[in-house]
Amino acid sequence: METDVLIIGAGPAGLNSAYEIASNGVQTVIVDESFFPGGQLKQQTQYFNNLPRQFEAQRGITLAETLANRLHSLPVTMLHKHTMIGVYKDGSIGVSNGESTFPIKAKKVIVTTGAAEETCLFPGWTLPGVMTVGAAQILMNRERVLPGKNAIILGCNSFSQEVAQQLKDCGVNILGIIEKNTSLGRESRERLHSDIPLLLNSYITRAMGRGEVEKVFINHNGSEQEWRADLICIGNGLSPILEPFEILDCSFTNKEKLGGLLPGYDSNFKTENSSVYVAGNAAGITCMGGVLLTAEIAAADVLRHLGVLNREDAARQTTYLWKELLRIETQTDSEVFYARVASIQEFHEKNNIPLPTSFHAILEEC
Amino acid sequence: MYIKDHPILKKDNNHEVTFFYNGTTLKAKHGQTIAGALMANGIKKFGITRKLQQSRGLYCANGRCCSCFVTVNGLEHVLSCMTLIEDGMEVNPNSGDPDVRRGEYGN
Repeated sequence: METDVLIIGAGPAGLNSAYEIASNGVQTVIVDESFFPGGQLKQQTQYFNNLPRQFEAQRGITLAETLANRLHSLPVTMLHKHTMIGVYKDGSIGVSNGESTFPIKAKKVIVTTGAAEETCLFPGWTLPGVMTVGAAQILMNRERVLPGKNAIILGCNSFSQEVAQQLKDCGVNILGIIEKNTSLGRESRERLHSDIPLLLNSYITRAMGRGEVEKVFINHNGSEQEWRADLICIGNGLSPILEPFEILDCSFTNKEKLGGLLPGYDSNFKTENSSVYVAGNAAGITCMGGVLLTAEIAAADVLRHLGVLNREDAARQTTYLWKELLRIETQTDSEVFYARVASIQEFHEKNNIPLPTSFHAILEEC
Repeated sequence: MYIKDHPILKKDNNHEVTFFYNGTTLKAKHGQTIAGALMANGIKKFGITRKLQQSRGLYCANGRCCSCFVTVNGLEHVLSCMTLIEDGMEVNPNSGDPDVRRGEYGN
């Protein structure tokens, strides 16, 4: 198979960059592991407010449909249940659906693999009944199945708080949110619900049960308590999914504020492999607005390299998008934006590429 | 157990499918994954590890952690969270040693 642009992952970043590219008549193929598009939006029933201007505030599940539906009349081929499994010698991407494996030759590749949930280890963490908060949300909102009756949420952050509330609204008894720190970040403090108990300075010492979680030992302020629970949801944050970048010879950098290890990229989200771009949470954990905007910045540079956009138009668009990214990311968490800019500066220095003049205005804002 | 009145989502009208788990006939809804179908029937333990005989079930629900493997129509190590349930599907827990396939793909 041959195409102009290949996108790995049909989450919000992949779908949005596909739209930006294919709406210019450029042939685009999207490869996605799942059976339908939307990535992790497919179970996000919460509202997303801080989105780029062309999107009104909407629930994640609606946004998934919005992003997928507008590709219907465009030159986009969607390969569901297909996984990128390697790279051929000529740079083609190896894709498999479990039965057949074939190469896709593309002029440009945008990797939008998103993020994976970090775990948290304690004795018994592999027992059935222990799952990530994301898994609990999938069961509840995609499968319409209650993941358990009496739940403990491990880790207090805006996502785990959101899922805790959603579980509670579906009838799950939330015994408490267990947080190892002694204080919460601003976003978590603002979200505190008095009807869900929060235990700071706490951790799980052990989960036990015959074949599944039945009781959980919790250390709270130094003393141990025994709780009866059948569900532990681990909410320990996200980190970028990196395997495709490893096999595509990209360089990596470590930025704690962006979720740890991530591919190095320039101010247009181009990696060290000049035909490979990154966008979305794979380029550093950010808000939904950031996921969508990074996809548009990458798409603009891809269009320039394919000769669809001229240099001036691309620069004008990129300048606008970076201002939007600055606005949206700093509204949610300015440290994410600063870490991103720092990693881009480092990438340019390391590779001896001057930063585009349009980017200097962004640097001045930091 | 199903969520009957979801606080946000509309009632789905997905038709029922019948499948087999460990020889027992169970019901699921079209559009569910195997993992979702098992959890809906109150089954959390999908298998045991070969070496330490530890229980395993759904963990990440995203096809990454490999904790939810089951055997589907004789094929071992299928990700139950990434595979949709089908009418008449024979699902078995992931326990014991796998059968090494011979013939077309074996040696």
